[in-house]
Amino acid sequence: MILDDKFVVSYWNRWLAINTQISKDEIIGKRLDEFYPDINYKVLYRKIITALTIGTPTFYDANSNAKFIAINRNKVTTSSLKLMQQQVTISPYITSENKVMVSIYDISELFEAKLMIRKEVEKVHKLNNKLEAEKEIIDKNIMIMKTSADGTIIDISTFFCQFFEFDKKDFLGKNVSIFKLADESDAIYKELWKTIQDKKSWNGELKYKTSDGKEKWVQSRVMPILDSNGELYEFSAVYHDITNEKLLAELYITDPLTKLYNRAHFDETISFIVEHQRKADVNFALAIVDIDHFKSINDTYGHQVGDEALVSVAKTLKNSLREDDLIARWGGEEFVIMLKNVTLDEAKVIMEKVRANVQNNKITDSISVSASFGLTKYIIGEGAKEIFKRVDDALYEAKRGGRNRVVVK
Amino acid sequence: MKVKILNSEFNEDQIDALREFMNVSIGAATANLANLLDAFGTMHIPEIEICNSNELADKIESTIDLESMYYATKQLFTGKFGGECMFVISEDSARNLGRHLYNITVPSGDEINDAVIELTNILTSTIVSRLTQELSTQVQFFVPSLQFIDANSIIHDEDVAEYSKIIIISTILDFQDQQINGNIYILTKDEAIESLKVLIDKKIEEIYGLLKLNIPTCYWTHLKMVT
Repeated sequence: MILDDKFVVSYWNRWLAINTQISKDEIIGKRLDEFYPDINYKVLYRKIITALTIGTPTFYDANSNAKFIAINRNKVTTSSLKLMQQQVTISPYITSENKVMVSIYDISELFEAKLMIRKEVEKVHKLNNKLEAEKEIIDKNIMIMKTSADGTIIDISTFFCQFFEFDKKDFLGKNVSIFKLADESDAIYKELWKTIQDKKSWNGELKYKTSDGKEKWVQSRVMPILDSNGELYEFSAVYHDITNEKLLAELYITDPLTKLYNRAHFDETISFIVEHQRKADVNFALAIVDIDHFKSINDTYGHQVGDEALVSVAKTLKNSLREDDLIARWGGEEFVIMLKNVTLDEAKVIMEKVRANVQNNKITDSISVSASFGLTKYIIGEGAKEIFKRVDDALYEAKRGGRNRVVVK
Repeated sequence: MKVKILNSEFNEDQIDALREFMNVSIGAATANLANLLDAFGTMHIPEIEICNSNELADKIESTIDLESMYYATKQLFTGKFGGECMFVISEDSARNLGRHLYNITVPSGDEINDAVIELTNILTSTIVSRLTQELSTQVQFFVPSLQFIDANSIIHDEDVAEYSKIIIISTILDFQDQQINGNIYILTKDEAIESLKVLIDKKIEEIYGLLKLNIPTCYWTHLKMVT
């Protein structure tokens, strides 16, 4: 349409005539406010004058809810707009006659698309917020670590840092091996590494240390993350504190004086082996060790020295064995040893060395002890009673034969 | 008015001439605002800067309160000196503007939006038109778009990757009893800046010609605008 600054219409095109149902004959020469009294004519006047003065177009806000001219939309399919969304531009037309051209563009489809996008964005925002909230819960309550394929720590949860009493920045960029205790066996880490390198998840218990060296047990699940080519990309690990459970369990199977396993645990282990007859388990030798003349140590030096002798011998025995061998306090001054994957001859050589170590070990400056050893090899299929009977007999012979010796049966 | 040129190849003479162009453009904008928006007081231009587009986000952050919401209007203009004008105005200033232009105590959201678009249109059209008039070229303005957004979302680096230099004009508009603050950012591409430099050099040459004719310096500005 073409208007002047008095709002008199001098041109009204077919589009307007069709959409407003007002013909050009009806409106041309008349004032727009006779047909559309609701338009804010103060604002319209200002926009007309602005366009005429600056010589460039002026605009109405295309997102406005207020419509310049209300035109019903007859869209039959779903629509959020009942009225046409308009982009209204007022351009200078004949400046000398104060005439402007008012162009109305139907931007309803565009506007609807915009509304839909806004709605979707709001949904995404809500989901993101929810996700962030859940991420925060996880971060503060679950121990999680993410490492690169070479074990360099990339990210770590807040709860993990709190649990191990570290600052996050102390972890990032370091290798995961910083948690390993110096005296911890390499075997479990080798197994872990091999499993995850084979792109499989690893479950197990790990002993980690806190910033001040306190030992903590964690149930761990380490999962490999593969890239789009199926190659190892990162690892993620979830941990659960099982320190208390481990302490209780250790208490249950440990001899309080010597810190070796107790008889109950050894019994349980050997019963399991005998019952299941697994090939990997049944190849073992059994030894019973008895400290010679222990009663006279107790009688001569008192029970305290006697206990010291038990602790000292236990330590010597433990240190003389291999990592995989099993040793327990059998009762009184007796110890039981399971040597895994050895022939009887090899077991005899080992026991001779152990015997010598016990003999050479000083309990105090003036006290040393010796021990007698009964040794036998497990025969596949036999029961626990049979092997214990044989090893007891061997020990008896060692005692009778003059002590401080290894007798094989 | 202080003009700061950052990371640009403009020399002292060129900066001086640019300042004059801007003075004239802003003067025209002030006159238009006073005329068109009624009861308008004065407009101060405390600072004009030219910086690289990748510095824009930092520039905006340094001039606004990061905790507040802002109205940001963007308007595209095409032609030889093509680019985009962005006008950033605080929520309070926009409300003050809505009150003034609609003459009501509590303007609606639509009224505030419309008022901001109107102010932006007058400011940017006048400044850019005047500048391009000086450059002997023409521009066409497109429909401005308005966003009401938080301070951190006004601009992202990727938004200005297309542009090279940005002319920043800080404005303070004093209405009768309401202060309205806003910043205008004219985002341009290299060729527009080059055109600007060519024009500036041409004007400088003309001034040297006037010097030879012993014309007093107090007439320079006027002469520069009419040549």
